[in-house]
Amino acid sequence: MKLKAILGALGAACAIGAMPAAAQDIKIGANLPMSGPNAEYGDLFGSAAALAVEHANADKMLSRKLVLVIEDSQATPQQGVVAMNKLVSVEKVPYVLSAFTGVSKAIAPVGDKAKVVSVNGGGIGPDLAELGDYFWNVIPLVNLEVLALAPYLVKEKGWKKVALLYVDDPAGEAIKKELDIHVPKNGGTMVSSQQVPRASQQFSGLAAKVREARPDVVFIASFGTQQAQIVKQLRDNGVRQQIVSYSAFASPTVTQLPEARGALFPTQSINWNGDALSQRVARDWKAKKGKDPNAYVANYYNAVMVFVKLAQALEKAGQPITGENLLKQRQAMGSFDVVGGRMTFLPNGTVSMPLQINEIDGGAGKLVKGNIVVR
Amino acid sequence: MWAYLVNLAVLISINAILAVTLNFVLGYAGIFSMAHAVFFGVGAYTAALVAMKLSGGFLLSTAAGMALAGLISLALALPALRVRGEYFVAASLGLQMLAMTVFSEWKVVTGGIGGITNIPPARLPGWTVASPEQYLVLCLVCLALVMLAVATLVRSSFGRSLKAIRDDETAASAFGKNVAVIKTLAVVVSSALAAVAGSLYAFYLSFVNVESFTLDTSVVLMAMVIIGGTATLVGPVVGTVLILLLPAALSYLPGLPQSEIGSIQQMVYGLAMVLLMIFRPGGIWGFRDNPKDDR
Amino acid sequence: MLFLQLLINGLQLGAIYALTAVGFALIFGSTKVFHVAHGAAFTIAGYLFWWSVSVQKWHWAAGLALAVAVVLAFGLAMERLVYRPIQRHEGAFFTVFIAAFGTQIIVQNLVGTVFGRGFETVTVGLSQAVEVAPNLFVAPIAGVALVVALVFFLGLNLFLTRTHVGTGLRALADNPDLVRVYGLEPTRLAQVAFALGSVLVVPAAALTAVTQGINPGLGAHIMLISLAATIVGGIGSLKGAAYGGMLLGLAESLAVWKLDPQWSEAVTFVILFAFIIFRPAGFLGRPHGAK
Repeated sequence: MKLKAILGALGAACAIGAMPAAAQDIKIGANLPMSGPNAEYGDLFGSAAALAVEHANADKMLSRKLVLVIEDSQATPQQGVVAMNKLVSVEKVPYVLSAFTGVSKAIAPVGDKAKVVSVNGGGIGPDLAELGDYFWNVIPLVNLEVLALAPYLVKEKGWKKVALLYVDDPAGEAIKKELDIHVPKNGGTMVSSQQVPRASQQFSGLAAKVREARPDVVFIASFGTQQAQIVKQLRDNGVRQQIVSYSAFASPTVTQLPEARGALFPTQSINWNGDALSQRVARDWKAKKGKDPNAYVANYYNAVMVFVKLAQALEKAGQPITGENLLKQRQAMGSFDVVGGRMTFLPNGTVSMPLQINEIDGGAGKLVKGNIVVR
Repeated sequence: MWAYLVNLAVLISINAILAVTLNFVLGYAGIFSMAHAVFFGVGAYTAALVAMKLSGGFLLSTAAGMALAGLISLALALPALRVRGEYFVAASLGLQMLAMTVFSEWKVVTGGIGGITNIPPARLPGWTVASPEQYLVLCLVCLALVMLAVATLVRSSFGRSLKAIRDDETAASAFGKNVAVIKTLAVVVSSALAAVAGSLYAFYLSFVNVESFTLDTSVVLMAMVIIGGTATLVGPVVGTVLILLLPAALSYLPGLPQSEIGSIQQMVYGLAMVLLMIFRPGGIWGFRDNPKDDR
Repeated sequence: MLFLQLLINGLQLGAIYALTAVGFALIFGSTKVFHVAHGAAFTIAGYLFWWSVSVQKWHWAAGLALAVAVVLAFGLAMERLVYRPIQRHEGAFFTVFIAAFGTQIIVQNLVGTVFGRGFETVTVGLSQAVEVAPNLFVAPIAGVALVVALVFFLGLNLFLTRTHVGTGLRALADNPDLVRVYGLEPTRLAQVAFALGSVLVVPAAALTAVTQGINPGLGAHIMLISLAATIVGGIGSLKGAAYGGMLLGLAESLAVWKLDPQWSEAVTFVILFAFIIFRPAGFLGRPHGAK
């Protein structure tokens, strides 16, 4: 009875699933947290990718219609692998957008085996650079961000004493490691480093410890709703110092928070009023969401556009759009003009892009220093 | 499509092992553990480490995981001997939270949230399990063995003592049953068998981290047992299949907003738990036993 | 100075925990229902307060009134529609527990779907700390939290000791038949317990929305704390639950004094574990329930 039930359910599922997308469409996948505590990110990333798909279809950039299939990873490895398998073997996509370090690390072997490209536009942990040929990053990883930020804080602003609150994941640890190297290198000192568990929601005690350390600047390395809670509770509990962070601050939960006003954080350098492409994305995003776009919007938009450009080239050459060909084509082309300027892939699948430092001003953010090129 | 089905079947088998072993303590022994994911995790981490550091095969890694999980489960047996009901639920919740802290903070061993990557494929004497189909066979064999073990234990005199203690502890001890030993053994057996699932999981994903062994996992496992039917052999498996197929089934349902699917899925099994408790406390599969037995 | 600071923070947190724990203990103590959906009531109250004050720009009193009304309805509905039918055919503790847990899951996801899954906070000046002594920062809201907790406990105590219904409520757990002799209906009393217990989460949820902010997952955490506080304090004792909540709040805050922050939550559960193994009756409880 059990077996029959499974087969019946799956049979029905396949029958329904086959209908909506016509067979001749070009499909790409997205493996994003659409539920659970990080769904806010999944929604943001997915909408940005959908905008890119819309633009590609409106401009008829490919011979056939481009379709984005979103699967829910819940930001957990197990669900991520389930979703990835579905994208690879049911939807048969050659290219999958990914997010969150844990998920990315779990799905990378699946993609590698099936020769399907996975592209990260949200995670910035340095271990994302080591997941094989079929795992690409369209976001500069965190070591680059610290490299850009440390000299600015210590040398240009003269904030010599740095306190750090970091979440205990690979990204948080990488930030600690890089700060421990680059703050002293520029003439500053790390006066306190406190680790924060991911589920923690109470930070008034940490605030007291931060005050004790008397820093000039407080670096917050967390993500999701937790980083907003840290900012609010630091401010409520008498921490008046400058707050800085990394690109995770480019999330509406933080940028809309009154307590986060004046905080600084690096992202890729994006001038939304610059080239025609950036302007168009900014305009259409605002029309859809009523808000100005942020760096994540650019990343996931770019992730789709990189695919479109590679697929265009493949179609021109008369080759099928497979993961294997996409990889070859990327290695052949190397650089892409995307939102925010020129994106250059390094051989290990990471990108180097100019960075900028932003200030939270209650709106879309203020640019305090643009076009910082590191390394 | 085939690879997707195989993948789903592998995950169903692994979770079914967990549900069947949880049901052994929950349904037959009346010990309401909310910490089952801990032993799943201990099995997974141990197997991964034995395979990587000692280049152990599947059998050695699994055995090591079972031994360690059995040992650690004594931490759960201790409160189980002292208290019942609501106290024990709280104690197991406490153990689950403590274990999560250890899994994510003991970085030299567990790799923290970054986890352990590059776990080698499972090896058995004369057989390297390479394809997903072969892996499914391994999982099904393990599931069958675990179910056989549980079924044998339940029918034995040990199982009868267990049910006697569940239904009336005072009477059972008056009849000369050694309550402490029987309860401890039940917890150890259940936890050690749960470690088998952990080992299968680690070799399958070739990646483990703390996110797979959280309180949410324990809750979902409990839901599988409850929805399927406690104190039945097949019930937990039915529950596992239903819960793991739910997201797939929902995602094919037209008209649902994509971003809400995960929430809707959780709401569905939350609702199933509530309605079943009101109208059919024995679970879906629980109709064959008399009501008193499937409490 | 750090110790004093952490002590004050702990008192503020403890007041919030104590309020929810007492509500949970009141319901459990008098009706024997293990109401883990108490965390769901907390989430609902927090979000309604945030929605009416921060989104709709109502007066905070109106926000509280709305939260009280809805949470009251939720508590009564749970008793009437879920727990009573279950208890009618069999009163097994675990059956009730699972149903309550299912409700908790439903509410958490429903709240996320309706109000979004981000972090929300009610911004008021009261939550901003001022320096009262060198490097000692206290927010007015800490005082508010303590006063509110005290007022509610005194009120509850008066109600339970001085009124006919209150006396009945205290007797309900031990002897439902005795209650009938007094001319009170046990089911009616159970409704009173659910109403009172649920209303107690409203001040706690509103204070949390102001001081630390809320997200849909918060209810599960609050449920764990209430549960732990009730057991640490001793099942059957409201005073014990209040002390238990206060103790856990203080422990969580003071843990940071000597330990790295990642262990502060673990401290809560070590305390719980120790109580269960060495003193299952809690520090004020009667030894029933434990063996």
